[in-house]
Amino acid sequence: MGTNETNFYQEYEVFSKRSAKAPVQHQFSLLAPNEEMALIMAQENFMRREDVLDVWVVKKSHIRAMTSEERQNWTKRLDNKDYRTTKGYGYLRKKWREKEQGMLDEKEILSWKEVKKS
Amino acid sequence: MYNYVEDGDSQTTAYMADDQEKYEQFMARIEAGEKIEADDWMPNDYRQALIKLISMHGISEIMGALPEKEWVPKAPTLRRKLGIMAKVQDEMGHGQLLLRVTEDLMRPFGRNRENLMKDLLNGDLKFHNVFHMPTKTWADAGMVGWLVDGAAIISQTNMLDASYGPYQRALQRICAEEVFHAQHGESIIMALAEGTKQQRDMLQESLNRWWPSLLMFFGPASAATTGSSKQDIMIKYRIRKSTNEELRQAFLSKYMPRVFSLGLTVPDETCHYDEEKEEWIYQQPDWEEFKKIIRNQGPRSKERLRLREIAYENNRWVRRALAAQPVG
Amino acid sequence: MTAIESPKQALENQIYALALKDLLYQLADDDFLISFRGSEWLGLAPHVEEDVAFSSITQNTMGHAFLFYSLLEDLGAGDADKLAHARPAKERKNTVYAEKRNGDGSYLEDPYYDWALTVVRYFLYEVFKKVKLEAITNCSYRPLANVAKKVLMEQPYHLAHWRLWFQQLQEANEDAAARIQQRVEEAWRQFGDAFDLGPYGTEMQEAGLIADEETLWAAWFSEVQEVIQHMPAGPLEKQLGSGRFGEHTADLDHALHILSEVYNSDREAVW
Repeated sequence: MGTNETNFYQEYEVFSKRSAKAPVQHQFSLLAPNEEMALIMAQENFMRREDVLDVWVVKKSHIRAMTSEERQNWTKRLDNKDYRTTKGYGYLRKKWREKEQGMLDEKEILSWKEVKKS
Repeated sequence: MYNYVEDGDSQTTAYMADDQEKYEQFMARIEAGEKIEADDWMPNDYRQALIKLISMHGISEIMGALPEKEWVPKAPTLRRKLGIMAKVQDEMGHGQLLLRVTEDLMRPFGRNRENLMKDLLNGDLKFHNVFHMPTKTWADAGMVGWLVDGAAIISQTNMLDASYGPYQRALQRICAEEVFHAQHGESIIMALAEGTKQQRDMLQESLNRWWPSLLMFFGPASAATTGSSKQDIMIKYRIRKSTNEELRQAFLSKYMPRVFSLGLTVPDETCHYDEEKEEWIYQQPDWEEFKKIIRNQGPRSKERLRLREIAYENNRWVRRALAAQPVG
Repeated sequence: MTAIESPKQALENQIYALALKDLLYQLADDDFLISFRGSEWLGLAPHVEEDVAFSSITQNTMGHAFLFYSLLEDLGAGDADKLAHARPAKERKNTVYAEKRNGDGSYLEDPYYDWALTVVRYFLYEVFKKVKLEAITNCSYRPLANVAKKVLMEQPYHLAHWRLWFQQLQEANEDAAARIQQRVEEAWRQFGDAFDLGPYGTEMQEAGLIADEETLWAAWFSEVQEVIQHMPAGPLEKQLGSGRFGEHTADLDHALHILSEVYNSDREAVW
């Protein structure tokens, strides 16, 4: 049992989800004595004016984040990865046009949510 | 709401030789518009300037809640009670964001929220000069919401591109809420300006009293006035863009036409826009008084600190009780 | 009792209208006074994050009072601001426990407010509010039933917040547990009038507006006893009188003086 109040101030990171389709997003951090208190305070501290469907609180010390050095060294990439994206396959549009076919691009493929009912 | 005003001690910068390379990388990053994060290397005077700036900004929000709060239970209608409550709640919320940013910067020194509160109460951490003033009437609640917040919006939006990432992100949240605050203040003022003679007189009397504080809001034009100023280091490190005087001029340009349009006057007959010089002319406020105020010798400094101290000490048992629990 | 769909229909039956208005005054005044006490706390809570969360609850609760006053306004009782600010103490129908000062001193000077009183008061009150509103959601006056359902959507957060504070302080250390227990014992002596239905209690039940006092009390009791570790012996008392019958303490005069100060400076002005 401590008699000083330093342990009251535990750091929690707060995340929330705005809609069913939205990903969970980091909001800010707060100080609270435990995770139940952190959770009960989180919504009104950071999402007073926006829709909320879910809230997460995570003790900051439980997050393994990149260090400053890791951010500097691990997040840079060469710009030579066309093969990973549609950009590297753009020539197909012309090929298909020659065969009087359309291109199955992102817009086309994502429009396939519905297929004809039998 | 807040502005950065310096009180004393200037920082000296002494870099170790092997830090020179890091320093150059750091400057290159901020000049390229990159954001610095809490655990990135930063020059000592950058960290110190940020701690001083943001702790004062944060604690000023917390102390700034008090003068407006005096009118929360007294607000004249249910809608006004709700509006001003939401507004003061936001100020406490802004304090929360900014204290969190400061606490992360102070971590290397083993300092936390408790230290900030102690620093405030023992006079080491200063709060903004404008919150040492009394709020005597309901019109003052409107004046704080309209012009004091207006000045705060000018100084805060000036830092929206600040090089320190956590501060910049907190300011984004804060400034988004300030748009509501601005309109909340205008709404109170508009009702009084278009109200009874008694209401209009109350409004004018309030503006007369707040005028010197509004001019002082942005701090002196140069260090020559009060002995020191940190505006140069703030601009060098891309924390803010403009000088105190540029901000004051921007405030006068934005707000004076609106003040006059409501049929209000300011207690300075010389106050006008000089077309040739392209600047606002005004009589300097009493900067000696300013120096006293920011040393906690203003009209309500002692009372406001006492309120904060009682609230802090009187609730200590709550923090102790929950600190003793197993940490979740 | 057939459903009453509109104010006009309610006013056709004089007894019904009297009972309905009295019930609405109880609901409105309870939420208004307790949110006024909450508004005095703003800026003074044990820590900043709690201050912000608490203020949302206070605003929501005052918003609920506004909804109930608006129902009275629709029944011709006068506008909501007048009902909130201009009625003398003897016409107020809130429980006396809601008007109780937050502690010693005032919010302007020497605010020696007691967080234990606040936690205990809000916890007991929020359980009571839930029970009472649940007893109203199927009431004969449809506009009130609809408002009760709406308020019950927002209120679970309030109850969860105060229940958490209550549980954690009660289980924290001896000092906190003793402070909470002392305020619980005090509440047992003072909160009894909340369950009174007032001078039109019989008419309220006959009009199909609400359940009887015993039913409300039993529902409240079973919920709070799951949380309170040491339930005081004996029934709730009305040591300070019954607000439902217009009996009040000097604390209400104090509250009315503050909350209507600007309103009273010019009742005709537009603020």
